[in-house]
Amino acid sequence: MTANLEIVRSSASTWGGASGLRSLPVVSKYIDTSICIGCKSCEVSCAEWNDLPPVKTVQTGTYQTMPETHAAFWNLIKFREQEHEGGFAWLFRKDQCMHCSDPGCLTACPAPGAIVQYANGIVDVNADQCIGCGYCATGCPFDIPKFHEKTAKMQKCTLCVDRSRLGLEPACVKSCPSGCLHYGTKEDMLLLAAQRVAHLKKTGFAEAALYDPPGVGGTTVVTVLAFGNHPEWYGLPKDPSIPWTVKLWKNVLRPFGFIAIVGAIIGAFGHHLYHGNKGHIDPAPLDDEPPQA
Amino acid sequence: MSSVRHQIGLDVGALEARDTEDVVVGKEIIRHRLSSRVIHWLVADFFLLCAATGLPVFSPVFGWLGSLFGGLAVCRVVHPLAGLAFFASAAVMFRHWSQEMEMTAQERGWVGPKLLEYLRDEANHDQIGKYNGGQKVFFYTAALAALGFLGSGVVLWFPLTFPGVLRQIAILLHNLTFIAFFTSIVFHVYLATIAEPGTFNAMTRGTVSKAWARIHHPKWYRELTGSGK
Repeated sequence: MTANLEIVRSSASTWGGASGLRSLPVVSKYIDTSICIGCKSCEVSCAEWNDLPPVKTVQTGTYQTMPETHAAFWNLIKFREQEHEGGFAWLFRKDQCMHCSDPGCLTACPAPGAIVQYANGIVDVNADQCIGCGYCATGCPFDIPKFHEKTAKMQKCTLCVDRSRLGLEPACVKSCPSGCLHYGTKEDMLLLAAQRVAHLKKTGFAEAALYDPPGVGGTTVVTVLAFGNHPEWYGLPKDPSIPWTVKLWKNVLRPFGFIAIVGAIIGAFGHHLYHGNKGHIDPAPLDDEPPQA
Repeated sequence: MSSVRHQIGLDVGALEARDTEDVVVGKEIIRHRLSSRVIHWLVADFFLLCAATGLPVFSPVFGWLGSLFGGLAVCRVVHPLAGLAFFASAAVMFRHWSQEMEMTAQERGWVGPKLLEYLRDEANHDQIGKYNGGQKVFFYTAALAALGFLGSGVVLWFPLTFPGVLRQIAILLHNLTFIAFFTSIVFHVYLATIAEPGTFNAMTRGTVSKAWARIHHPKWYRELTGSGK
């Protein structure tokens, strides 16, 4: 789906893919958990628009369709019951790929072009390049990329890149009946969120906040939380970032490996230049007899 | 018998080296019998196959290596299978050589200062038997590497089976093992080829010259030839 969309970052690329000339607005999906009614129409429209096969539901003891998103089920409303001082909260949150500005999946992916980030902020998977190694999942702080058992490919929400490329809102936004989902430029969505958070603060939710975590450079999908100081109540990590193990691997271990191996090769040849052959003695007179002391 | 073979121009050393080692044949000494050499090259070739299919995953600059096999997706299938073959052959190699590779107390120093002494041509070779401390250290490095690769490799092979944190650690361990092992291999190959002429023959035909044995492994030479000093 790359036509008309400029790629700014590509997994395992040796050189950037962007021309750097075109400037496209960064898009954003806005989710307001305080308005969501848990109707799951987004789940249905997501599967419908993306032509995903049905996935067996799993009884989790709540209204939730299954415990977590699936390679063929990219949009899941998470139902949580939270007791807290001063009451009880029944929380619904639309869980999906957050489309991070600094995507851990893309950083960890070893297959060139299997995960790309477009100039409009969308992080997308190209199944034809995916080798099914599952490294992307180790890089994601939101546990989103899922490996499909049968196809051996990773799949996740594309933010309906095929729709957004034409200026249409994602299928989930189109079908949302409560006004909990909006789609537009990130700038506009941040403005909308600021108004909504201010309103929530005035109406009894003093800690209301927008979830746009800076640890991953902000996310394309932003979420309004009534209990903004407790993202973990919604099943969101408090301060997500790319795992240090992935950073250590890519930023330290890999360059160190190149230096060590190239250094060893240079060292070996250097040793030979300096020392010559080890134990070099003209073998001819030694062939039959030990040397006379 | 052997003189008749000589007369008709047969490669006596190589023929003897089919099933014997540590014996003197004419001007040569048989260092590695055929089985030893086959095991060594199985391990080496399976490692090369692993490296060629693993390096394109390590970094995209090695993508051309992946193309040799039909692309990264093929490497993803071949690499773990080649890894199993590497581990199996390394296990056989460990069994094959473990007795001869037992390290003496003095040889422990080869992990550090003695190795440097050796590389600076300052080491006293007099007490070096069939294998020097450095060769033994490399032998155990290969054994540890095989274990490190297998342990972390199995975790990485099956994305759905193991928890994420374990897989993150496995990636680090797999990379670290590779870097350490490959660096050692560079020196292993260097010392066995251009650094010490006559050594490579020990792993091909199986023989070395008497002069080579006396220079590099004097104690072994004395044991085989019965010569005094």
